[in-house]
Amino acid sequence: MSAPSTEQVPDTAPADDAILSVRDVKKHFPLQQGIVFKRTIGHVKAVDGVSFDLRRGETLGIVGESGCGKSTLGRLLMGLERATSGSIKIEGQETTDLDPAGLRRMRRNIQVVLQDPYSSLDPRMTVGDIVEEPYEVHPDVVPKKQRRQAVKDLLDVVGLNPDHINRYPHQFSGGQRQRIGIARALALRPDIIVCDEPVSALDVSVQAQVINLFEKLQDEFGLSYVFIAHDLSVVRHISDRVGVMYLGKMVEIGNEQEIYETPTHPYTQALLSAVPVPDPSLRGHREQIVLEGDVPSPANPPSGCRFRTRCWKAQDICAAEEPLLQIRTASDHPSACHFAETKDVIHATD
Amino acid sequence: MTDTTIESKKSTESAVLANLPWDPNAPLLEVTDLQVEFHTRDGVAKAVNGVSFDLKAGETLGILGESGCGKSVTAQAIMGILDMPPAKIAGGSIKLRGVDLLQLDEKTRRAVRANKIAIIFQDALSALNPVFTVGWQLGELYRKHTGATRAQAKAKALELMKLVKIPAAEERVNAFPHQFSGGMRQRVMIAMALALEPDIIIADEPTTALDVTVQAQVMQLLAELQREQDMGLILITHDMGVVADVVDKITVMYAGDAVERADVHQIYERPAHPYTKALLESIPRVDMKGQQLAAIKGLPPPLTNLPDGCSFAPRCTFAKDRCLTDDPPLYDVPGNRQSACHYWEEVFNS
Repeated sequence: MSAPSTEQVPDTAPADDAILSVRDVKKHFPLQQGIVFKRTIGHVKAVDGVSFDLRRGETLGIVGESGCGKSTLGRLLMGLERATSGSIKIEGQETTDLDPAGLRRMRRNIQVVLQDPYSSLDPRMTVGDIVEEPYEVHPDVVPKKQRRQAVKDLLDVVGLNPDHINRYPHQFSGGQRQRIGIARALALRPDIIVCDEPVSALDVSVQAQVINLFEKLQDEFGLSYVFIAHDLSVVRHISDRVGVMYLGKMVEIGNEQEIYETPTHPYTQALLSAVPVPDPSLRGHREQIVLEGDVPSPANPPSGCRFRTRCWKAQDICAAEEPLLQIRTASDHPSACHFAETKDVIHATD
Repeated sequence: MTDTTIESKKSTESAVLANLPWDPNAPLLEVTDLQVEFHTRDGVAKAVNGVSFDLKAGETLGILGESGCGKSVTAQAIMGILDMPPAKIAGGSIKLRGVDLLQLDEKTRRAVRANKIAIIFQDALSALNPVFTVGWQLGELYRKHTGATRAQAKAKALELMKLVKIPAAEERVNAFPHQFSGGMRQRVMIAMALALEPDIIIADEPTTALDVTVQAQVMQLLAELQREQDMGLILITHDMGVVADVVDKITVMYAGDAVERADVHQIYERPAHPYTKALLESIPRVDMKGQQLAAIKGLPPPLTNLPDGCSFAPRCTFAKDRCLTDDPPLYDVPGNRQSACHYWEEVFNS
């Protein structure tokens, strides 16, 4: 996908083939003090002005470390949190101001697969009931008499034995439970699935099975994924485009090749260089950028560029002026750094 | 506690250690045919099934495997911190400089712990006591094992916190665990392990709960301290990337068995066991956009009901009839390595 990304500027129109378009969306959680008389003493800016487009049939990976706001972003897309400001459009329809009935209609089109396959399934419901439940909310999708068969078909699609329809979640392994969660997400035949760390609770040998399943389903049903994860190797494997988040902001976005081979934001570079590569012959031949310190508190982020407190390139301008996510001279994809320049950090340096 | 009892405690612990028949020419650690069973309601679970390895001073051994393969149980057996019952060491020996730890009484074992072998756990938050300050907890271990005074212990705690590069250690020494970030907590755990200058450190998934940039900081620190103090390090992990970055040699475990032992370069270049080979093919890499992942079909067998032949046979692409009935021994493979596969030559040459 080499079309130039235009989504970074909040007021640009969505791309023609955008199925989901997010513009300058913010989520600020109030910080309250006091027991009886609560007063707001500040805000945690979990998501603070994020814009992107998701095109039909593509996978957009969202990466970042814990606390960067990637899961809150996923919840905003699903309408599980109400945005403080900004716009989220699904197939051209604004979703941030919907009433509960409107949200319900919207969720036919966008479904979620959560991280923990142990807590996201009701232990007292059978697999059949879990996968069938979406049809009770949306009775018109499949007529009542055909639902059981529809559930069996779904189980078959995700690689489970349809005869296990009456079993309970505890009778399945982690990978199989994640498949149940995927079957439930597919039940309403949505166009978009938000995957929030869908494979990080799984063992490596099982993780590959589930990743392959996601890819197969995308081909089969033409799904679009927003794939939220902290594992950069997994995200590279599955994504067409990737957005990197730091402290509530998108710092760099581009296609998979651009982000991994020619990253321009220092944070992306540090993140990529820190990922261990399963090849001992590269040991000592890869540059490793080890960042100092921890992520600052999102309640009180640094002025200007939020990464400047840990950045080795930081100058005075970084504290004074917030760098916008825009195309820089160094490359064709947007980067929120005043001093953006490409640097290959994942391959051996000599 | 009066001063005299402190003195006596100190002298007893070092006297106990001094009286053991250490053999300076024996390997630092030699685990031979270790077998650990858990007696549960569902029968006997064979968690560790005849595992052998050795470790020299200054060397790093990686124990690689998925959840339930017995890698943490092996670590706990070496530390002597298994809950017995339900656990039972059914056979084998763990020799530290020629002394079999399994033959020692609990009092002597306690002296060996922390003085000779220390462990770092995955979850630093639950390993630390939330109601005591970090400095107090670091000092407590030092007081209990050496009989130092509170003032000495506090000074030592401060020194240790500086050693593991905790910024502003003078102020942080009086902080509680919840006031530390994940990476800083793991540094405290490392400081605690180093308190008595042990010969061996066992790190059980030390960075699994951490973000990649913090993981890089912690692994770098651990490797640096190991080099400086010439310790043996056992790194237990499921992450093939982390292993490739730091260890010298690897033992791969599957369903309680050591299935392959080799030098780190050999194993990544040319695995000699189908499980190792399959694992390497099933992980996505950050430095290349791969094709479809070669997932391992199926699941590991339950430990209470291991198959008669090779435990990996039901999932193995190389398996033949013999594998289902005949449990493979560790065959010697050229290059001073071993593989528990009847058809290792086939795997090796594929």
